Amino acid sequence: MNATYGPIDLDDLITNANELAPLPASTVRLASLISRHDYDLHEAAEIVSYDQALTMKLLRAANSAAEAAESRITTADDAVFRLGAAQVLTLCVASSVGPIAQGAVPGYGLAEGGLWRHSVAAARASEALASACRTPIPPETFTAALLHDIGKLVMGRFLSAEILDWLDRARGIGFTALEAETQVLQVHHGELGGIIAQHWGLPMSIVHGIVHHHHPEEHPEVICDAVCLANLAAKRIEAPNAVITPQAGLLERLGLSAVELDELCDKSIARFDEVKGRFGVR
Amino acid sequence: MAEFARTNAAIVLESGKEYLVESRLSPIARQQGHESLDAFVEHLRSGRAPADLRQIVLDALTTNETSFFRDFHPFETLKKEILPRIVQERAAMRKLTVWSAASSTGQEAYTIAMVIREHFPQLRDWTVNIIGTDLSSAVLKQAQDGRYSQLEVNRGLPAPLLIKYFAKDGDRWKVKDDLRKMVDFRPMNLVQPWPVLPPFDVIFIRNVMIYFDVETKKGILRKMRACMMPHSVLFLGTAETTVNLDVGFDQVSYGNTAVYRVGAAAKKP
Repeated sequence: MNATYGPIDLDDLITNANELAPLPASTVRLASLISRHDYDLHEAAEIVSYDQALTMKLLRAANSAAEAAESRITTADDAVFRLGAAQVLTLCVASSVGPIAQGAVPGYGLAEGGLWRHSVAAARASEALASACRTPIPPETFTAALLHDIGKLVMGRFLSAEILDWLDRARGIGFTALEAETQVLQVHHGELGGIIAQHWGLPMSIVHGIVHHHHPEEHPEVICDAVCLANLAAKRIEAPNAVITPQAGLLERLGLSAVELDELCDKSIARFDEVKGRFGVR
Repeated sequence: MAEFARTNAAIVLESGKEYLVESRLSPIARQQGHESLDAFVEHLRSGRAPADLRQIVLDALTTNETSFFRDFHPFETLKKEILPRIVQERAAMRKLTVWSAASSTGQEAYTIAMVIREHFPQLRDWTVNIIGTDLSSAVLKQAQDGRYSQLEVNRGLPAPLLIKYFAKDGDRWKVKDDLRKMVDFRPMNLVQPWPVLPPFDVIFIRNVMIYFDVETKKGILRKMRACMMPHSVLFLGTAETTVNLDVGFDQVSYGNTAVYRVGAAAKKP
């Protein structure tokens, strides 16, 4: 029993998070391998090759027009080398999470497909950041970016009209959306997302990237900065006229200029259109 | 409700934050069978509400936000600057006493215990007492049990320390006995007459006084000073200070952290 009082039962919330279907063992093993950073691509390919459905999915992705393949890819080994381990992991996670994350989340004003669309846009943005930032971005960032808002999926079920009114009123006196969640609910969607990632057995670097995606300064790992910026860039990708304002110090820590961020967002818009079919974005 | 909170716990409920009171009390009102929050408040005001219900309401109105290693820097200062000096100062007595005031669910007190265990092995054969106090019986019970949810241990507790000092207990993490024995939790309302307290080497009272009015803050600081020795140190929250409240304290800065010592201008009450 939790000793604090609030409009939602935190134990109940955590139980709900822990009731999400587990990820396939191959995906968890792949995530663990990639977060070690000293992995060999052949090891990644071996994990994939044991999962027939996954291998088929990766072959389709590796042979898609978006990858501009010159020759046809026919083995898991070649698919992993073509796509890279980070993208392979993102596709693995997406194939499990996509179907459950497609639903509407009315508590957050998200229509059907809205949460997943934003998640895939963030994953795409993190991929672009990895190429553009002078600070090295760890490969599991793509997956953390894909899952950064997964907490909303569970939290959304708990947000009644009454609670939404309290959150609105908190925002009305100057709190950010995240601060309002913390004040009223005593937990925010990033923290809940971290619980889900732990439940799925994903590496702690991914958990930290999800938990701290709104306040990366609270945790020293680069993945937190990268997911935070990917979240902002995703908003530009989804709405090209949106104005995004990275928090002080974020671009400097990642080794990226504001102009480079703008260019990266512009390029990502076209790339997002190319890859969204692969991730089942509607 | 504002009057109820001020009278019973000296908590100032700011105008504009009515949503917070509603969000904390509505579930209790429903649980108690009241049709509306207004009806519940009327019941509380009538004086017919039993003492335990009044305590539950106070518990709910109290902000219990806390985490392990909250704000990080104070614990670095404790480790690098404060404890090394106090260990020298108290070498003859071999005794260290720390107070975590308004300790909530105990994370601050256990953090202090972990800092001592991790970095001051020479204190193993000292008498080390970490005392946590709070007015809420519900949070004290959790602190005494030393059982925390995954959400709570995720807040600031590094994985190596979780594994070293906690054991999985069902869906909770339980503080291991070695650490648990270092900490003692007691009920105490800072705005009511204080019990007899020992002299403290270090006092943590962070992010508590922001909820009190000026006169209450002054009274608490004066009484805190009376519990301090010349070498003792007081930690306040980052948004808190003794300036304009108590001239008896001198501020000493260590990088990002300010601490307070009893100064020359102090006149003990």
